[in-house]
Amino acid sequence: MDGVLGFLFNIDMLTTWGWRILGGLQITVEIVVISCTLGFLLAYPLCLARTSGNLVLSKLALAYATFFRGTPLLCQLYLVYYGAGEIRPFLDQIGLWVFFREAFYCALFAFSLNTAAYQAEIMRGALASVSRGQLEAARSLGLSSYRTSRHVIWPQAFLVALRPLGNELISMIKASALTAIVTLPDLLGITRIIFARTFDFSIYLYCALIYLAMTESIRRLWNLIERTLSKHLALARGGGAFGPVTPMPPTEGTIDA
Amino acid sequence: MSWFDLLFGPRGWSSLLLTGALTTVALAVAVIPFGFGGGLVLALLKTSRSRVVRALCDGFTTFFRGIPDLLSLFLVYFGLQALIDKLSHLIGDEVHLEVNAFVAGVIALSVVVTAYSSEVWIASLKAIPPGQIEAARSLGLDRRRVFFLVVLPQLGRVALPGLGNIWTILVKDTSLISTLAVMDLLRAASEASKATTRPILFYTAAAGFYLVVSILSAILQGYLEKRANRGYA
Amino acid sequence: MKITHALSVLGLATALVGTAAQAKEWKTVRIGMDATYAPFESVNEKGEIVGFEVDYAKALCAKMKVTCTFQNQDWDGVIPALLASKFDVIFSSMNETPARAQKVLFSDVYYATAPVIMTTAANKSDDVSPAALKGKAVGSQSSTTFSNYIQKIYPDSTYKGYPGADEPNLDLASGRLDYVVTDILVAQTFIDKSGNGCCRIVTQIKRSLTPDIFGPGVGAAFRPDDKDLKDMFNKAIKELDDDGTYKKIEASYFKMDIRGK
Repeated sequence: MDGVLGFLFNIDMLTTWGWRILGGLQITVEIVVISCTLGFLLAYPLCLARTSGNLVLSKLALAYATFFRGTPLLCQLYLVYYGAGEIRPFLDQIGLWVFFREAFYCALFAFSLNTAAYQAEIMRGALASVSRGQLEAARSLGLSSYRTSRHVIWPQAFLVALRPLGNELISMIKASALTAIVTLPDLLGITRIIFARTFDFSIYLYCALIYLAMTESIRRLWNLIERTLSKHLALARGGGAFGPVTPMPPTEGTIDA
Repeated sequence: MSWFDLLFGPRGWSSLLLTGALTTVALAVAVIPFGFGGGLVLALLKTSRSRVVRALCDGFTTFFRGIPDLLSLFLVYFGLQALIDKLSHLIGDEVHLEVNAFVAGVIALSVVVTAYSSEVWIASLKAIPPGQIEAARSLGLDRRRVFFLVVLPQLGRVALPGLGNIWTILVKDTSLISTLAVMDLLRAASEASKATTRPILFYTAAAGFYLVVSILSAILQGYLEKRANRGYA
Repeated sequence: MKITHALSVLGLATALVGTAAQAKEWKTVRIGMDATYAPFESVNEKGEIVGFEVDYAKALCAKMKVTCTFQNQDWDGVIPALLASKFDVIFSSMNETPARAQKVLFSDVYYATAPVIMTTAANKSDDVSPAALKGKAVGSQSSTTFSNYIQKIYPDSTYKGYPGADEPNLDLASGRLDYVVTDILVAQTFIDKSGNGCCRIVTQIKRSLTPDIFGPGVGAAFRPDDKDLKDMFNKAIKELDDDGTYKKIEASYFKMDIRGK
């Protein structure tokens, strides 16, 4: 097939379109990094709200999580992007139109809210996986609430949450491809433009390889981090102070369910 | 026009939305046998003794789990038709197989679900106690019988939570086909909102439908898990 | 055994060559359109594709005595889809440009209208020089002659490309875009039907001044192998011109003459 063979020798294409592809890649990376960070910051209070004793708060958090995990991200993106256009007069009044006018910020908004819901669920599962015995032991040692959570609970929960959070990052890299549909020239968007001009199928394969390079690097990096951080557990396996790490119950959006 | 008119009035869009919703569900359901079945086949292939087979399967899984589902959809949509076209030219001009966008969607999503679910199936295969298989073999059952009578029934129970997750992802991924001019629910909502300039109404309605499917699926999954775990502690 | 096998393979090969050599007889013609281009083609609330080009194509098919089916296809992939045989004709307001003519065969031009630049009603300025539009957001459907125009004439403006032809209009209405480049009738239909007085046409672009961007007009596109289908269409186009059917369909949609002969 023309595309597969020509693809290996297509220096022409790289020199003509290389810069634009890099531009698209830059936008993809920006979207992913910023929205995952914002999502992480939002996920912690969300997680607390979900597990708090306050009924109203926990139900609200549950509704939020159900909405953002139960509907397609593309639908959420359309809702934010076109919905903002519909309520523009209102947004003008509160001075937010400048923000929602740009496709980039609309995408950031939708993606951050979405990933926050998933990350909150991951954190919740991670906290729940730390056995109650740890909490009781810490209390009986006289550790304050803050000390307990910072030095006992969170380090263990963090290790459990690590893998799913890595999966979520990979999910976000893949989801960023949707922004092309709302005029944002990200990696897939640029690829579509190039394909429409050249009709050369190999550009899609290049695009796939770039995404693959990103997701595989993250996956291997994450494996490395996980192995490094849980070295102390591997050594202590079968009788150590903390015992082996308990596997996370499957959560939404994880690739290695 | 009020929102009620826009949906249910004489020039209302509810029938198009309903058709779209049916297309969405049809797409997701059509993927189940090919996607989850394919995943099981792939998982079994990964236990093969041949290094080449294992490497190919791993390559397949790595590729389709590493690229956006939207890109998989485009690759299948544009690539498959070109491939079939070249093949059908070999057979003769009169034979014309066409891959319409819905079928391309089924194939693309099946490929993605195959890649995702193969990992779940492998974990489930590993969870079957080896003693079961040894006992079955010692009773004289051949390999095929062992698989279908002993392994498969137990596999479902272990794989259910993971497969349920993938089902949820699948339902949401069907919305991607709206980018290929297939009239699914999200596309119907887009057409309606563009014609009436009321995007919030229609996209919220679409989101509502997805939510309902999502919640119903969760309930169904809970029920199936309870049933599957009947004999176990 | 081996001889019969060889003979049957030979026979099959001859049969294949034989079938390939016959000219194709067209009984059904599949038409591909990007139905986001009201009033030429769009999707109504029943999900049907309707519009001027739909009616015109149906009349052409009746004249050619073939059955026509219509498919919706996103504009970005319309030529690859044609070349991949998803359908047999693109009948979707496709301008005949030299670049496209390298990939597809075009029929005779069947309409030619002016491209226009649209802006918001609030924008009172009529100056559309590249200097005036520097830094402004100018949008159109992507992979169209309109997008080529923007990227060539207004390189200092921020270009935004959309998958559908109706989407830039909506963003103009909501204020995300400062200007939109589209067809005059598409702009007029939008302003009349759903613009709510938001927008106005600033100026028309003369096709003759930009022949390599816009070309002479709109034609139907075919695969390079299907010269016979193209000839069938050309014949039917001429016949519908002569017997007045074209004028009738045109009058039912537009007040102006779009034939552009």
